[in-house]
Amino acid sequence: MRLADLIIVKLENITLGYYTTPRGWRSLFKVKQPVVFNVNLNVVDGEKVVIIGESGSGKTTLLKTILGILPPFEGRVYVLGKSIYDLPAKERRKITRQIGYVPQDPYKSLNPRVKIETVMKEPLEKSNLTDREIKERINEALRLVQLHEKILDYYPMQLSGGMMQRVLIARAIVHEPEILALDEPTSALDVSIQAQVINLLNQIRRKLELAMLTVTHDLAVAQYLGDRVVIIHKGRIVEEGETAIVLSQPSHEYTRLLISSYRASI
Amino acid sequence: MVLAVEAENLKIGYEDEEVVWAVKGVSFKVMVGEIFCLVGESGCGKSTTGNAIVGILPPYSVTDGVLRILGKTVIEGNKRDYTGVRGRIVSYVPQNPGSSLNPYLTVEEQFHYVMNSVYEWGRKKVVEEATRYLRMVELDPDKVMDYYPHELSGGMQQRTAIALALSTGAKIIVADEPTSALDAHLRLGLIRLLTRLRDTVNLTLIFITHDLLSAGKICDKIAIMYSGRILELGPSGKILTEPLHPYTEMLVDSVPILGIMKPLKTYGGEPLTPGVEVKGCLFLDRCPKKFDKCAENHPAPKEVHERIVECWRYV
Repeated sequence: MRLADLIIVKLENITLGYYTTPRGWRSLFKVKQPVVFNVNLNVVDGEKVVIIGESGSGKTTLLKTILGILPPFEGRVYVLGKSIYDLPAKERRKITRQIGYVPQDPYKSLNPRVKIETVMKEPLEKSNLTDREIKERINEALRLVQLHEKILDYYPMQLSGGMMQRVLIARAIVHEPEILALDEPTSALDVSIQAQVINLLNQIRRKLELAMLTVTHDLAVAQYLGDRVVIIHKGRIVEEGETAIVLSQPSHEYTRLLISSYRASI
Repeated sequence: MVLAVEAENLKIGYEDEEVVWAVKGVSFKVMVGEIFCLVGESGCGKSTTGNAIVGILPPYSVTDGVLRILGKTVIEGNKRDYTGVRGRIVSYVPQNPGSSLNPYLTVEEQFHYVMNSVYEWGRKKVVEEATRYLRMVELDPDKVMDYYPHELSGGMQQRTAIALALSTGAKIIVADEPTSALDAHLRLGLIRLLTRLRDTVNLTLIFITHDLLSAGKICDKIAIMYSGRILELGPSGKILTEPLHPYTEMLVDSVPILGIMKPLKTYGGEPLTPGVEVKGCLFLDRCPKKFDKCAENHPAPKEVHERIVECWRYV
């Protein structure tokens, strides 16, 4: 097998961002406001990659384009070998469905009026599975994240933050995706719960043999969630490499600054 | 040494259908010029304790025990009297500076609002004082004075909030998670600023945080809170290096540290939900070192190795 077949996410010279509306008569024309510039990134099957950056560096924006919800201004995004933004929306969704996504804040990302059971069923709606198979899948996902079946009858507000985060992880893996994309998976959690979630994610990845793409600002958490780290600063990748090497012998000025200020503040 | 804050068996609850106790009896002493840290997970009552010291408990709260601030009794039983203390002696730095500064007022007007309500000073005196306090937190008064809060960056907003807290001449400052909304290098700057203020103005700082490591970096004393009680209280160096209580041990083991790849240990389980009556030790469900006696009742505080620990293993 060639290496090219193993690459499941590939970003080629991506420039992306948002549109802004200027004041006055110029508001007729929207202006491109790039946030991420000329980024190249490969994720190999089964690999753990962490994107590290401070707030405003464009790390979440980068994740959005991989999820297929933000077309880039320039460049191509390949997911599972297909350039997703060249496909019609329906085809694109079929491919991006192979990415399980865990959003940043568990408290804000579950609808308080919807029971956990409905939340868990949603990713399987379009599949051809029978009701019984769906139930089995859901139970298996819940078992993986160490939650009891009875929480399916609960509403999100009846759960604690750590349990909500586990529900979101279970929901992301219930349709057996190839990639797990996590946006700051632990930043809203307490330390002891954070450690539980980190251990859990590593267990799940080993069991399901997923590729894991994590976005975080916490260097210490990155050690556990990544074989490879990508440091991003003001929309540009400044350093990339094996986690242990980058974090112990940083070569770029910015990485050094990041690590020294992290060391000094704890 | 003078006592800045002294709590004796302080209990604070919120009145619902019946009283839900958020703080179930804590005792601690903070000296003047000390940095004291309340560490705990969400829902453990650390913010409620902080609010009691500042005097911003809601009217439907219930208190018990004694709280003294610089010798003045502010809480005794269910009576609360913060006259001359709230604002003038104790003040507050909130968690999120972006939403705590009034968006309609410039920084100068914010200072005017605060100082005028406490001392009824005129504009000229306010500008003079505000300049002094803004210099103290390393902001440029000529620039910042005319800005609205949204024109300042996150770190600058947090500094402005600290200057505002200092501006009434407060001797004790309660900071509720001041660093959790900031990036690593801003956090470092803020921590340095706070420790320098302690050295120059002899400020007493009460720091509320969930981050054990940054607490250990700046604090003289740490109190570990768990579901409304202080399980361990002592000098910060000792607590981090040789924790006595199993809960402290777990906290120290479960924090990832940069450069050290240790397995993250946790005991599973989650903190108790407030309002649930428990028989026995509060940490019983999650404790790996429990024995028969733990199920009977919660242990009394006991002094061991310069620390106060609530655990049956040390009684």
